[in-house]
Amino acid sequence: MITLFGKRIRLFRPRSIWIRRIVQWFFFLLITLIAVNHTLVENGVGIPFLASASLHAVCPFGGVETLYTFLASGLLVRKIHDSSLVLAGIVLPLAFLFGPVFCGWVCPLGTVQEWVGKLGKKFFKRRYNHFVPTKLDNILRYARYGILIWVLYVTATSGTLVFEAYDPYFALFNFWSTEVAPTALLILGVTLVLSVFVERPWCKYACPYGAVLGITNIFRVFSIKRAESTCKADGACSIMCPMNIEVDTVKTVRDHQCISCLECTSEAICPVARTVVFTAGGVK
Amino acid sequence: MTLTSKPLAIIVFIAIFGGIGLSSTFGWWQTESTKEPAKYTEGEFAGTANPADIRGSYTFGDISNSFDVTPEILAQAFQVTTDTPASFPVKDLESLYLESGYEIGTNSVRLFVAYYLGLPFDTTGQEIYLPQPAANILQKHTTLTPEQSTYIQTYTVDVKPASLVDIEMSPAQSEGTAPEAGPTTSAPEAGTSSEEEYAVKGKTIFGDLIRWGVSQETIEQIIGAPMPDPAMKVKDFVTANGLEFETVKTQLQAEVDKVKP
Ligand code: SF4
Ligand code: SF4
Repeated sequence: MITLFGKRIRLFRPRSIWIRRIVQWFFFLLITLIAVNHTLVENGVGIPFLASASLHAVCPFGGVETLYTFLASGLLVRKIHDSSLVLAGIVLPLAFLFGPVFCGWVCPLGTVQEWVGKLGKKFFKRRYNHFVPTKLDNILRYARYGILIWVLYVTATSGTLVFEAYDPYFALFNFWSTEVAPTALLILGVTLVLSVFVERPWCKYACPYGAVLGITNIFRVFSIKRAESTCKADGACSIMCPMNIEVDTVKTVRDHQCISCLECTSEAICPVARTVVFTAGGVK
Repeated sequence: MTLTSKPLAIIVFIAIFGGIGLSSTFGWWQTESTKEPAKYTEGEFAGTANPADIRGSYTFGDISNSFDVTPEILAQAFQVTTDTPASFPVKDLESLYLESGYEIGTNSVRLFVAYYLGLPFDTTGQEIYLPQPAANILQKHTTLTPEQSTYIQTYTVDVKPASLVDIEMSPAQSEGTAPEAGPTTSAPEAGTSSEEEYAVKGKTIFGDLIRWGVSQETIEQIIGAPMPDPAMKVKDFVTANGLEFETVKTQLQAEVDKVKP
């Protein structure tokens, strides 16, 4: 850490939040093992001591999908279990406090898109994640709310998990089973291909759960804040943001797409200490 | 208060795994269906298990734990030929009837159980198909409302499950090989030929006779009493009532021979 023109600048700073990568790997492996074990158990050869729940049972979005049916009749939508409601009950308060940390740290579909995105970064360097014209991109980012409304409506009226047939997350962890609808596989394929050009395309434009959690960005307790007094205005934070949020133009990030990955903070890309921070208080 | 990545990682872990642990202590962490269907929350049947909540993962045995309908009746209704109907999973019905072109599956079982027990069941806007034996059982053993009768008449289809079709079409399979298109688990008894199918034997139950097409009246005439639970073995009934099984068997076989296809 050195002080230059009155500003504290770190010479050797990490370029990313490494612990987030570990957490992402952890949840990716956990869900993979559970999904594989589920298939093995169905075929009578499960791995001992490992959970074998169905993928629906370990997905918090199931808790959102079944909410209407649950409140209206006390029943859960078929294939959804109580554990989905429990997970939704954990992830939502977490989001009220810290924003969509589930997206940035836990969701394996988000993780896989990031991994594929690394290829894109290699190929396209700075052009990566900047292919979609801003105007179109701004409009498209609201599509996930439309998808959310559609999913909630069809689930409530049919009492079945209609979204399963389109869900790339289900397809990702079940592509080997006959349970997966071709549409879901197709959407997964498209998502992965697009991930080479755009960071987290599913999250940005389509994910209904991301839409639910994203709303908390507007009023979350801890948010990304930028201290204008120490900011060098080099735009590093904005360049790094996977969701293309212009962190360097705002004091507090209230963008509905932030995923609380902390990659824009002074702990990672921002070269000035305590300038972009994740805080519940104020900054100068 | 400012947070960095490490405390945030710890918070995420504690929240998720702590939350799961806590919910387990309250018994809320259920990653499988408890196989206990939800109950009607209002009306005359409040507190009674609701057939609308029967899941594909239930076996016929699970259903009989919550509803007053035996696995044998369900097996007859849905033409599942197996020695262990209690372990037959409802979700396998769909593959069993795949070839028939009609969707006979979990919804059909829900409808059957509800009508069998005289419980309310909403069929609005739905086309729920029943195989003929299921409709026969309902018509003979329950009092259906005129609307229910009409619904059943509209959606009853004379179809056979894949395994039965296979057995009839390829006699080679009666040598002991399992039918190809059978359900993934609890495949119906391999080696059951159609001859055996229509033979009154010690293990024949009244439901079999109905399924084969013998009318309840004829059965009652032969046994000289009202027909008992269709799941009951003819032999057990006959012995309990001091009748001669051989005599009854011959008479019943004659009736079966008259109606068998
Ligand atoms: S937006 Fe959806 S897919 Fe992306 S990380 Fe969040 S939950 Fe996962
Ligand atoms: S604003 Fe910062 S925390 Fe939010 S998504 Fe962008 S880089 Fe991640």
